[in-house]
Amino acid sequence: MKWSGMAVVVLCLLAGCNSSGDDTGSSSSAGTIPMSIGTSSVCVTINELCASVTICQPGTSNCQTVSDVLVDIGSTGLRVFGSRLSIPLTQTMDAQGRALGECTFFADGSTTWGSVQIADVVLGGAPPVRVPIQVITPTFGGQSVSSNPCNDTVDSDPDSASLNGILGIGIFREDCGPACEQESNNTLYFSCEAGSCAGAEVALSNQVQNPVWLLPTGNNGVVLMLPNVPVTGAPSVTGSLILGIDPAASNTPPPAVLRTDESGFVTTVYKGRTFSRSFIDSGSNALFFPDATLANCAMPLDPFYCPSNAVNLSATVFGVSGQTVVPFQVANTQNLATTGNAVFNNLAGDFSTFDWGLPFFLGRTVFVGIEGQDSSLGPGPFFAF
Amino acid sequence: MGQITILISTVALLTASAPAIVPPVWAALGQPAATVEHDRVMMKGQRQSRGGTGYSIDTITVAGMQIKEYASPDGLVFAVVWKGTGAPDLKLLLGEYFEEYREGVTAARRRTPRVREPFKMKSDRLVVERVGHSRSLWGRAYLPLHLPPGIRPEDIQ
Repeated sequence: MKWSGMAVVVLCLLAGCNSSGDDTGSSSSAGTIPMSIGTSSVCVTINELCASVTICQPGTSNCQTVSDVLVDIGSTGLRVFGSRLSIPLTQTMDAQGRALGECTFFADGSTTWGSVQIADVVLGGAPPVRVPIQVITPTFGGQSVSSNPCNDTVDSDPDSASLNGILGIGIFREDCGPACEQESNNTLYFSCEAGSCAGAEVALSNQVQNPVWLLPTGNNGVVLMLPNVPVTGAPSVTGSLILGIDPAASNTPPPAVLRTDESGFVTTVYKGRTFSRSFIDSGSNALFFPDATLANCAMPLDPFYCPSNAVNLSATVFGVSGQTVVPFQVANTQNLATTGNAVFNNLAGDFSTFDWGLPFFLGRTVFVGIEGQDSSLGPGPFFAF
Repeated sequence: MGQITILISTVALLTASAPAIVPPVWAALGQPAATVEHDRVMMKGQRQSRGGTGYSIDTITVAGMQIKEYASPDGLVFAVVWKGTGAPDLKLLLGEYFEEYREGVTAARRRTPRVREPFKMKSDRLVVERVGHSRSLWGRAYLPLHLPPGIRPEDIQ
């Protein structure tokens, strides 16, 4: 790829050229995890929200804090690169004593492969939770980056993935659910032995899962609180990930509660068009949606919009119950790139459905209700804001 | 740049057409609709067919996943759509277009640092999109030059 003069601008846009921190952060308290954008040397992508997680060898105080873990409302379960782990965890085995591995497919087309291991996970000040996680290891089970059961080129290392791990704390309990309990050819779980891996049925309790729903208290979901930024962006922001949904404690007005369908989607109506497969995802770096009236940027910023002037827009988001209007802005991405900032609330690009990515979360308090868990906002799965 | 990519992959396909090294092309996209049955057998799935105005849809259901193959009146599979908890064998579904898709994935990942966005690759002859979240992944691939009259990309869902 020859980006010539564009390269510097692009790297500034994607990485943020100003590394100075914003110290208006939240204090850490029981059940709260600080999270940030633009303060890390690993999570260097624009609008990449990361936090730290402590992982312990099960039943011991042999623990390690893993920094630069993506806070991802769009996935389920904790995943950490094996190359970043210095403590031993417990490999999960199937009934025949074969090691369990998993392929995980993400919205951006990326895939991770690695073993399923049991860890004691410590989130914020909450008690440890014993939970299956994915240890991302391309060579697990005698496989490789390019040859593996995922039929895909899988993520190789933290630097190229720009993260040490992913904390999937979305609306589901397990990452696969009943489909992987009932069918061995589910394409996610595999039993590996002597360099060969075959599809595996995996009980719900052995699937990689959202650690939050296993907490003794505060197990009905999470709340993401991030400050807003100016229209020209900010070099960094810090915010809070609160464990457990208690709107009264977060001192915010009563939110609109949007219950999702069983697949976790909401519906967005924008300029008279209806997008039923819309989703809310802190792991996406921008807003993505289709609008032929917005000019796409030139290469290499071509996934993004470049209207000559910033445009103020709005869409209505519907759950199977609940609805609310979401105003947003789309700026000229080229202009944003010249600021050197790392956090933008008006970065958007083209896709065929609505992906409410990280800009949606800036300046909002977003409640994420886990399936089958009750809260004062009703039963999950829901998003409320 | 997109056109150069197409030229390269066309050359690769021509080279691969030498009889000595070519395995039978079974995959569905760009192939006769008759290959849908082969896909069903390979995936050990159930199949349902539905005729429509201007095109037909075959649906294969397998292990938490649903795969739809769209065929034109002249019997060419011009689109495949998948949704479910996992991901289908795209080598099987995309067939001769798989390498072009793989090049698109490689190009997307060559961006450093990586942008996390829904996956999309678009050339004159192939469009592939993937999106979703845990439990519910969705993707589609279609051949813009082979869409039957009256069907729009947004109809392929």
